[in-house]
Amino acid sequence: MRLSQVSFRYGRRGPTVIGEADAGLAPGDVIELSGPNGAGKSTLLRLLAGLAEPSAGAITGRPAVVGFAPDRFPTGQPFTVTAYLRHMARVRGGARWEPWAERLGMEHLLRLPLGELSKGSAHKVGLVQAIMSDPGLLVLDEPFAGLDTATSAALPGIAAEVAARGGVVVASDHQGGLRGLPGLRQWSLVDGHLKEGAPAGGHVTERGAGQVTVAVTLPVEDLPAFLTGMREQGYPTREIEETP
Amino acid sequence: MIALATFRVAAYVRSHRVHQALLLMLALLAIVYGSPAPLGEEVAVAADGAALTVPVLAWASRSLLDTEPDGQRAMSAVLVGGRVREIAAGLMAAFAACLVLAGLAACWALLLGASALPAGAALPSVLLLYVLGALTGTVLGALTSRASVASPALSIMALVLAVIVMLLVSASRVYWLTVPLLAWSRAAHDGLLLDRLPWLVLPALLWCAIGILLYARRRLRRAQ
Repeated sequence: MRLSQVSFRYGRRGPTVIGEADAGLAPGDVIELSGPNGAGKSTLLRLLAGLAEPSAGAITGRPAVVGFAPDRFPTGQPFTVTAYLRHMARVRGGARWEPWAERLGMEHLLRLPLGELSKGSAHKVGLVQAIMSDPGLLVLDEPFAGLDTATSAALPGIAAEVAARGGVVVASDHQGGLRGLPGLRQWSLVDGHLKEGAPAGGHVTERGAGQVTVAVTLPVEDLPAFLTGMREQGYPTREIEETP
Repeated sequence: MIALATFRVAAYVRSHRVHQALLLMLALLAIVYGSPAPLGEEVAVAADGAALTVPVLAWASRSLLDTEPDGQRAMSAVLVGGRVREIAAGLMAAFAACLVLAGLAACWALLLGASALPAGAALPSVLLLYVLGALTGTVLGALTSRASVASPALSIMALVLAVIVMLLVSASRVYWLTVPLLAWSRAAHDGLLLDRLPWLVLPALLWCAIGILLYARRRLRRAQ
């Protein structure tokens, strides 16, 4: 799969969200896409999944079967988890969803209406519908957001299995949940420009001796100033989670 | 694609939105066919029903398409293999729902609205009008659904306005510019439905084809 000079803008006169992105994806790749909020990560994922067409450039070689898990699963639907996943499995031509539901620890959720699910539980439903049909391309938008510890621990293994089958996994991730995977490729998107590698000064990848990592809770509107201030003082700082 | 269409019909039924269109249709039929028409008018009253039910069918189509959250629509497009297939599945689901409601209206009109069934070729002609009514309702509903017109206020105004314009134009000399709903009725009342049928069906099919193309184009552009 290849992105050739891919640019994207909303409407003819809208600002450019993605500018001349050029990249290749090979079978077996697992790619972590990072970048600040509003950098265009979700837009790039939608382009990769085929939900939007580039304003310029082309995306070629997209696998026939694509799995897509959005950052927010739409729970406003009149189905139980089981009924919903059955329908999705039929749309996928009879894919088996039950093993995935078991693997993500969803047995206790199956009879619940979608509208009664917590954010994390709803997220699991979105993940199951994305991975149930052995996708050649698995696109995950913030897959670790709201997940419990057990599911967060299982997800890198699932991504590795998709890659081992020759699939490609692309995940936007603020939390670095895939960092333990060998051969992980990192893409960063800054101001609409796609680069291979983590954004400069944006990630804490390793903690050296004598260093600690702290968590700070603060109002969302204070976040940009806080991050800027910390970085100006020389502390490697990144956003982990935004609570709505 | 059929599985996705089934999913959308199931969502429409399970959300109870189907009850709105069903109750509206039943109320309309009860009023229009309060007492059976005398012998000889069975084709006319059935044709009237085919035209009058179009606004309800358009409402049903719009309602069905709006049942699916936008996020699910995106996931469905990926699941089914692209936006075009997702759009086609939505139209298929809306047409199926409209066809069921139109079938109900046709049965009511033919069995309770008149003293006898239309004879000979008149019966399939009348049934064809109901199928065209279902198709017209499907397209009108799609063009005014949330995926086409984001604002609910504008969407409902567009639906009402489109129906009014369609009725006015279909009553004029240039009825062929739209789905000729009132021309169907007039031809049936004049006993000329069979003679004029091709000229009443063709504009309807053409209008629906153009409407489907416009809907698909708008949907694909809004996905950019």
